[in-house]
Amino acid sequence: MSENILKELCNKVLSLFKQTESKEENAKDVACNRLRVVLMQDRTNLTPELLQRMRKELVELLSKYVEMDKDALELNFDQEGDQMALMLSIPVIRAKDEAEIEKALAKEEEEENVENEIEITEGNDENEPSDEEIGEREEANEADNDDEDEEIEITEDSEDTESSEDTEEK
Amino acid sequence: MTGRVIVITSGKGGVGKTTTNANIGTALARAGNKVVMIDTDLGLRNLDLLLGLENRIVYTIVDVVEERCKLKQALVKDKKNPNLCLLAAAQTRDKTAVTEEQLKDICEKLKKDFDFILVDCPAGIEQGFQNAVAGATEAIVVTTPEMSAVRDADRIIGLLEAKEEIESYKLLINRVRPNLIKSNDMMSVEDVVEILSTDLIGIIPEDTGIITSTNKGEPIVNEEKSLAGMAYRNVAQRIMGEDVPFLNLEEETSVVAKVKKFFSNLIGKEK
Repeated sequence: MSENILKELCNKVLSLFKQTESKEENAKDVACNRLRVVLMQDRTNLTPELLQRMRKELVELLSKYVEMDKDALELNFDQEGDQMALMLSIPVIRAKDEAEIEKALAKEEEEENVENEIEITEGNDENEPSDEEIGEREEANEADNDDEDEEIEITEDSEDTESSEDTEEK
Repeated sequence: MTGRVIVITSGKGGVGKTTTNANIGTALARAGNKVVMIDTDLGLRNLDLLLGLENRIVYTIVDVVEERCKLKQALVKDKKNPNLCLLAAAQTRDKTAVTEEQLKDICEKLKKDFDFILVDCPAGIEQGFQNAVAGATEAIVVTTPEMSAVRDADRIIGLLEAKEEIESYKLLINRVRPNLIKSNDMMSVEDVVEILSTDLIGIIPEDTGIITSTNKGEPIVNEEKSLAGMAYRNVAQRIMGEDVPFLNLEEETSVVAKVKKFFSNLIGKEK
């Protein structure tokens, strides 16, 4: 009997310690997590914005093929010796069946075509008034568009598709 | 004789590079090795102070490079240990006074007469760092369990990895405070090792004795009882290829810890 009481007392005292020990988030964990993020940026030259974008694009790409828990996606850089690895971990909720995947791909192709058509017309508008000064304007655009990378990429794409469509028509 | 050239570097200033250099050098010499330390922190020399040799310096590394004296003339012998020498930095010149090639050349010459050449690197990642690393084949990266020091160490490790001449580099974690680690207020040695994924060569506890030993110009390795001194002596043993276990700094000392231990032991006995 007395042994049990003693044991209970000990457990109670120990549980008191446990309560004081388990603070919400301690300074050490905060430091470790902040360091990991900052070192990931230092090692890869990826800003938080770029990482966010990479994440978003990966989710878009992968969700064509599998249904997954987008919020639980984990993206980390691991250093093993002199080799750096990108570790991507996403819980898969369900594998999509063939029909679904094809549907998603077809839908995407359709969307791409529509987007391209719009951009082609936009691109033509831009080029129309400046037949002689294209070179100068392009230089100016490059300088201006530092913070508008997306636009540059899209117009480049549209040029490619433009030419390929032209050959198809012929 | 072909000596080993080891550069002691950190990126961040104030983490204990020069203290580490003075102590490892002294410990290696105490163990019977012929050791020379080169201070490459031109304009901000301090290694002479930590060794208590500031009044004995006649010629500096710049005098050697500019051929005002022979290399051997510029080597200052330690007060206690004849195995230990210092090649001091010039206090009146800047980092451009010595080039990478010249430092490489000095290291090559010293290799013939010494077992160990320890190069004390200035803080930063500019030319001073490049110079200090030029002649070395091994490196010790000094850091502390603080975010800024670990981040800078990561940069240094990246730069060392890119250097073909550096065959190996090890991590030394300085100013470790077991009580703060235990209360989860400071990153642990394991955390730092994991984040930097680099092999350890030493863990040095924070020790107020370092301040008094610096003031006296007497490296703490000479104090037999000091914990930091012991840790530095262990580092020297590891450099010499011996397998020495790391000191256990996690000894429970606080009252709370003792009470906790008492109750844990009681339960253990009951079972």
